[in-house]
Amino acid sequence: MTNSVNRTSEALSDSSYLPSREAMARRRQRRYLADGAARWMVRAGGGGVVIALALIFVYLFSEVVPLLRGATVEPAYSYELPAGASEETPLLGLERYGEIVMRYSASGRLFYFERDTGALLEEIDLNIPPGVSVTSFGNGEPRSRRTVFGLSDGTAIVVDHEFELQFPEEGVRVVAPAPVFPVGDAPVVVDEDGVALTAITVQAAREDIGVAAQSADGRMLFVRYQVKTNFMTGDQQIERRAYELPTLLEPVEHLQLSANLWNLIGADQQGNLIYWDISRPGDALLRDRQIASEAGEQITAMQFLNGTFSFVVGTSSGRLAQWFLVRDETEDAGDNIFFLEQAREFSRHDGAITAIQPEYSRKGFVAVDDSGGLGIHYGTSARTLYLKQVSDRPLTAVAVSPVNNHVVAQDDQGRIHGFSVWNEHPEYSLKALWGKVWYEGRSDPEYVWQASSGSDAFEPKYSMVPLTIGTLKAAFFAMLFAMPLAIAGAIYTAYFMSPRLRGFVKPTIEVMEALPTVILGFLAGLWLAPFIENHIPVVFTVLVGLPVAFLLVAYLFSRLPRHVRNRVPPGWEAVFLLPVIVGVTWLMVSLSPLIEIWFFDGSMRQWFTDIGITYDQRNALVVGIAMGFAVIPTIFSIAEDAVFTVPKHLTQGSLALGATAWQTVTMVVLLTASPGIFSAVMIGFGRAVGETMIVLMATGNSPVLNFNIFEGMRTLSANIAVELPETAVGSTHFRILFLAGLVLFAITFVVNTIAEIVRQRLRARYSNL
Amino acid sequence: MNEKTQPEDAVKVSAGQFDRSRRSLNIQREDIAVEVKDLNLFYGADQALKNINLKIPRNRVTAFIGPSGCGKSTLLRCFNRMNDLIDICKIDGQIIIDGQDVHSRDVDVAEHRRRVGMVFQKPNPFPKSIFENVAYGLRLQGVSNKRTLAEVVEKALRAAALWDEVKDRLQDNAFGLSGGQQQRLVIARAIAIEPEIILLDEPCSALDPISTAKVEELMIELKEKYTIVIVTHNMQQAARVSDFTAYMYLGELIEFDDTAKLFTNPARKATEDYITGRYG
Repeated sequence: MTNSVNRTSEALSDSSYLPSREAMARRRQRRYLADGAARWMVRAGGGGVVIALALIFVYLFSEVVPLLRGATVEPAYSYELPAGASEETPLLGLERYGEIVMRYSASGRLFYFERDTGALLEEIDLNIPPGVSVTSFGNGEPRSRRTVFGLSDGTAIVVDHEFELQFPEEGVRVVAPAPVFPVGDAPVVVDEDGVALTAITVQAAREDIGVAAQSADGRMLFVRYQVKTNFMTGDQQIERRAYELPTLLEPVEHLQLSANLWNLIGADQQGNLIYWDISRPGDALLRDRQIASEAGEQITAMQFLNGTFSFVVGTSSGRLAQWFLVRDETEDAGDNIFFLEQAREFSRHDGAITAIQPEYSRKGFVAVDDSGGLGIHYGTSARTLYLKQVSDRPLTAVAVSPVNNHVVAQDDQGRIHGFSVWNEHPEYSLKALWGKVWYEGRSDPEYVWQASSGSDAFEPKYSMVPLTIGTLKAAFFAMLFAMPLAIAGAIYTAYFMSPRLRGFVKPTIEVMEALPTVILGFLAGLWLAPFIENHIPVVFTVLVGLPVAFLLVAYLFSRLPRHVRNRVPPGWEAVFLLPVIVGVTWLMVSLSPLIEIWFFDGSMRQWFTDIGITYDQRNALVVGIAMGFAVIPTIFSIAEDAVFTVPKHLTQGSLALGATAWQTVTMVVLLTASPGIFSAVMIGFGRAVGETMIVLMATGNSPVLNFNIFEGMRTLSANIAVELPETAVGSTHFRILFLAGLVLFAITFVVNTIAEIVRQRLRARYSNL
Repeated sequence: MNEKTQPEDAVKVSAGQFDRSRRSLNIQREDIAVEVKDLNLFYGADQALKNINLKIPRNRVTAFIGPSGCGKSTLLRCFNRMNDLIDICKIDGQIIIDGQDVHSRDVDVAEHRRRVGMVFQKPNPFPKSIFENVAYGLRLQGVSNKRTLAEVVEKALRAAALWDEVKDRLQDNAFGLSGGQQQRLVIARAIAIEPEIILLDEPCSALDPISTAKVEELMIELKEKYTIVIVTHNMQQAARVSDFTAYMYLGELIEFDDTAKLFTNPARKATEDYITGRYG
């Protein structure tokens, strides 16, 4: 028995070609090892991709997050004023190195003291003649550091609280007081009648110094001083031109001059704002008068913001409002006629506003009130970044550092409070990015993207709306061009074309995908755009002409004798359309000048302009064609696969029920292939949204907000490409460009997610493969 | 040992089918629905059908049997010109239905296929609702009246013995049905457009025995109104459902006769070898 078993097993082992038991066990071990390793590698690869994506997202987000931070204010020091504490402080000033504070006193003295300790560095008594007193004080733009004292004898002293950098030895920098008297340290005449000046302001224009003042007897005076230096002797000569302005009965309390010396704004005791147009000072006009206060309120502070295009008014009830000079665009108004308009309000302070100081290079300002509150506000974004009570005593003066990292305030007992400030991105607010914003000098709130300019007084405009709409516009027109062509082409290629022709056509179109988009953009911008501009009628005639020609050829083909038709192998008919396409297009192009002459007085572009349609050379049509060309291979390839893989038993089932080929395509094939076609379209759309080079080169990059096919646009992606290289790292602009990247990411993410969900549902419904 | 017992069993089984069989049929007395004359078919250089001559009687079930690759499906597909879809396929000879050669130029292929319905080996419902699947053929003909469609769909589903199983879920996706139900749905879909002839290409090869029994019952019911041609690998099935059987081998029609006669008393040795299992 055992023998026989042994024999059998021997016989079996003899006949087996498998390796020995041990070898197989070893091999099994290795197989499991390889299997496990492969599993881990796949996991690591997949996880790595997810992690890499997450990291990109985290990085983008980390660059964007500081925008949302608002402002932080930390108390830094506090000390008593070193001198003249009993006198009022009409103005405090800081310099950018954070070393000294400049303080004016109401009696006409200028103190320089150390910022952090309060140690007095220099005290300057202005050259005020005996028996004459200071009756008013005014200041120009902060960055000009210019101030003026109005005196009781109708004269004034103009002072710039300048400082200078000294390097007494290597590696040591000293910021030293260096006040400047641009029209001399002696008082200059403002009122020739010698009446005391009750309100005064100053502004530095390019070569002139403008001083506007009201005299105690109610006259409004405007004087321009021009300083001329004799280049031989170095003597300075001051040329004075004085004008008298129309007056109101009410005396004004606050006066401000714009930097171009064209506009004078005043605020009276009744809470009215008054606007004089002094662009031609000889015939100055009182243009506008507006109530800027609520009942029982007085205007307690008024300052032009940086650039002097708009100003902030503070009232006794703690209200802060930004006012613009808005151009009157009604028909009968002349050129350059402006009126006053309140654009926005900021968060209310608890006490009366006592002082406002604008930031030196942005559209923000700090304000203090008589309940000890300190507020940091920003114009464009209408944001109040900080508002808190920082002192038990009323605050009477405030200064902000030219680099926005420091604020000092003085209370009514002569105590200085210093704060270090982080306020890097006040320009950001949700509304500034996505809402209509009323920008300085505009007649209405608008969506504008205009991130930079050569001027310091420029107001950056960060509306994402034109960019987002531009992105969608470009993608929309690209899809309008690509979708019908790609899907119809895919259906024809997959379902009707002969296999041999298909084997040639499909790879050719797929190779198109490898075409660098920079070349497409280059062709679109430099060849296609001018070509279309010169042959606009072609766009329309080809759109109508080609399909008509196709139908005509198809009809003629069906009329041909059978033996001729039978020569054409099935699935090769499309080849016969190639000469038709070329011929018709050529015909249309050569007809185009004639059409322009016959119907459009020789130029269709001019005709568009005449009927009020803007036509840009680089426009959505050009982009649609060029980017459509880039997207077609993507859509075509995926859609073709989807149609081609519709199971043959479904199409045969349909044909066996008496359906024609076309009925089968429309009723069965498209339905079954719909998930694939849908994802093809979505992937194409995603590609169009993210495409950069073509839109960069062929859109003209003007961030306009419309859907006109003959105008350009700027897309999020092109905007990043254009502006990121020229923006300062860490600036608001820089971070907003990252935010634009996030928005782009979000659009493609949402589109792809929706696409995937829809595709899954379609697939669940239509798949039995 | 085994090899010797099996054919006897097979014959016994097939013979057993005819214990209850009716009188034998004579092809000469039948009304002819399809006449095949001198049919030769080539796939490129390969000849798939060789000189086929065959008359298929009206309102009967005719079965084509034979080993794989013998050309029975190819022949079936000629009847409704499904071979047109194969580029390299060339056909000589005639297939006459209603006095007209189906390959003549005057025949409208789509209309011809409506008259000669076909059911495939694998159930192929469309990715649509049960209702729309059955209504599909009518919609192709331009019928869109809802009441008409509902009436026809119910009639077709009843005729395909599927109505009671699906009447409450007509709007559900047809893929929710079992394989057997799908196959009957496909038959209902074919019936809905009132064909004259229904071609079934191995309709039960993907089905379980219970579904197979249902489809077979259906075929016997349907022959009252339609001429049915079925290709099958299952000789018992041919014996059970068909009135006439054609045995094909390597593209040739070996024998065609009354089913009872072909299975019990084949005229050709090759036929006997095949039905008794000595072949393959």
